[in-house]
Amino acid sequence: MPTVTFDKATRIYPGGTKPAVDALDLDIADGEFLVLVGPSGCGKSTSLRMLAGLEDVNGGAIRIGDRDVTHLPPKDRNIAMVFQNYALYPHMTVADNMGFALKIAGVNKAEIRRKVEEAGKILDLTEYLDRKPKALSGGQRQRVAMGRAIVREPQVFLMDEPLSNLDAKLRVQTRTQIASLQRRLGITTVYVTHDQVEAMTMGDRVAVLKDGLLQQVDTPRNMYDRPANLFVAGFIGSPAMNLVEVPLADGGVKFGESVIPVSRTAVDEAAAAGDRTVTIGVRPEHLDLVGEGDALAKDGGKGLAVTVNVVEELGADGYVYGTAKVGDESKDLVVRVSGRAVPQKGEVLHVVPRSGETHVFSTSSGARLSD
Amino acid sequence: MTDTTTPPRSAGPDTGPRSDSPGDSPSGAGSGGRPRPGGRLSRRLGTGATQGFLGVWALLAAVPLLWALVSAFKTNNELFASPWKLPATWHFDNFVRAWTKADIGEYFLNTVVVVVGALALTMLLGSMAAYVLARFRFPGNRVVYYAFVAGMTFPVFLALVPLFFVVKNLNLLSSYPGLILVYTAYALPFTVFFLTGFFRTLPTSVAEAAVIDGCSQEGVFFRIMLPMAKPGLVSVAIFNFLGMWNQYLLPLVLNSDQHKYLLSQGLAALAVQQGYANDWSALFAGLVIAALPVVALYLALAKKVQTGLSVGLLK
Repeated sequence: MPTVTFDKATRIYPGGTKPAVDALDLDIADGEFLVLVGPSGCGKSTSLRMLAGLEDVNGGAIRIGDRDVTHLPPKDRNIAMVFQNYALYPHMTVADNMGFALKIAGVNKAEIRRKVEEAGKILDLTEYLDRKPKALSGGQRQRVAMGRAIVREPQVFLMDEPLSNLDAKLRVQTRTQIASLQRRLGITTVYVTHDQVEAMTMGDRVAVLKDGLLQQVDTPRNMYDRPANLFVAGFIGSPAMNLVEVPLADGGVKFGESVIPVSRTAVDEAAAAGDRTVTIGVRPEHLDLVGEGDALAKDGGKGLAVTVNVVEELGADGYVYGTAKVGDESKDLVVRVSGRAVPQKGEVLHVVPRSGETHVFSTSSGARLSD
Repeated sequence: MTDTTTPPRSAGPDTGPRSDSPGDSPSGAGSGGRPRPGGRLSRRLGTGATQGFLGVWALLAAVPLLWALVSAFKTNNELFASPWKLPATWHFDNFVRAWTKADIGEYFLNTVVVVVGALALTMLLGSMAAYVLARFRFPGNRVVYYAFVAGMTFPVFLALVPLFFVVKNLNLLSSYPGLILVYTAYALPFTVFFLTGFFRTLPTSVAEAAVIDGCSQEGVFFRIMLPMAKPGLVSVAIFNFLGMWNQYLLPLVLNSDQHKYLLSQGLAALAVQQGYANDWSALFAGLVIAALPVVALYLALAKKVQTGLSVGLLK
């Protein structure tokens, strides 16, 4: 199985001036499951379609293995694609749908039938092989679309939001099925989604795009622990990371009534950029509650006072949505609390970020300052 | 339909939230029931008027047809003596006479050749042109499209004289190819216009999937898009078939050889001849023979159009 390389690949739609995908540099390893994620209109689907050959590449190059495929037609790229609406051929049976590519390639009938039945077995479609797509449920159609890709044994799988037409429960199931199928087949896969949970759970690595620009490529763990900038910090994680703009103070930053320590270099960098504030990011699970007169509040401060607006109880734990006054503005915060000690609406909590679990970003550029 | 037991089924805005549970309709009937009968009455009047109108229309269309059908089995005397009665004995020999003596059989075959040829050519060329116009961006796309649309607005009478000379110069007067080509040209504008709209509604991703599966552009068209467009193709084919089968003006001008006469011309000639020969029942038999394929085709395919329409509705 080959690698996939985007080398400063750029796509500008006719009539537009701003690139939909702007000099995308991406190296996808052999057999890797890479997820492209981002809000709608960020260029993730366009990137995938460029790799598929469905969109022209206006600059840069795309390689599959050592082969430059930048201007090759789709059929010469040895790829298979799963579409969001599955794009099944409505007038063909499931078996014909899955075997169509082989039929075009001139494979003999017995061989096609064997491969289709094999894929049908893997995907649990054996009894539906002679049905038309319209007689299948959404989940089954999705599997047929997967089967169509598998049967071809392509070099690269491309998947364009293949789960977004399924209901929530089926989506979670299918998510694991696709991921394990990909591991088993070991075929290099590029997967597009707007759902960051899908991205985090399925990908070996995740690439975050925004406005056609690549923001960060990393493993899900690193993406979560060390987001490269404010956008990634806010995008990855659910509920989202709390991002609070705070003034620089002596030896750190002022967070409510506490001062939390921030590395010297980060403060220097912010100061060098002429900023008087930095943006602190804290995940909901990294905000600790401080009781009255708690030992944690060493400097006599009581952290940040948060007024509880809404409590979401999820069983194991709960999320508290509250408002805090930061400087002169009120700011919405999310705090994860234990499911056994959930505060009431209207209560005031005092929270401090757990040390070592804060992220510091430049307010002006959005770049990560802490390491 | 009885008014006492029907639950308030979206009778109007006045039923409000109560309408979702038929269980408490008794209480609803007391308070909110008053304005409802009026609404129901006007609704019933509305549907009554619609149904009445449709009924009258159906009668207007069906009665002459049925009358012609029944008359085709009568003798000439019966036809004039008791025009509204069923025939005493059913005379099938009228049909034999029409088919052989009045040459309706010959005209029928001529018509089949011309219409089938023209229809096949129209559908092939029309669908290909429409597909390209609907799917591909190229300079001049709109110009070609509007040229076709303009063709629809062109009154045929304006074209008759030049058309006659064009066909004459091509030595195609009174010939099958001549009529087939003219019929095709005449049917293409509407076919292209209709099918362009239809191809636009088909999902692009299916064509893309086929391209990725290794199809050439021709392959995508013939193996994927054309089968998907079947409901549209069937509708427009039926429409074209009706138009071509009943075409009178074009063959009248371009087809003067009596042995190449089409049904419409044959029937017109028959109407004149039989007026003198006093063989009205053969004329009606000829009419029925001419109308039969159209009715049969429509009955056979009308259902296909309806069920076929849902094929495209794959999410």
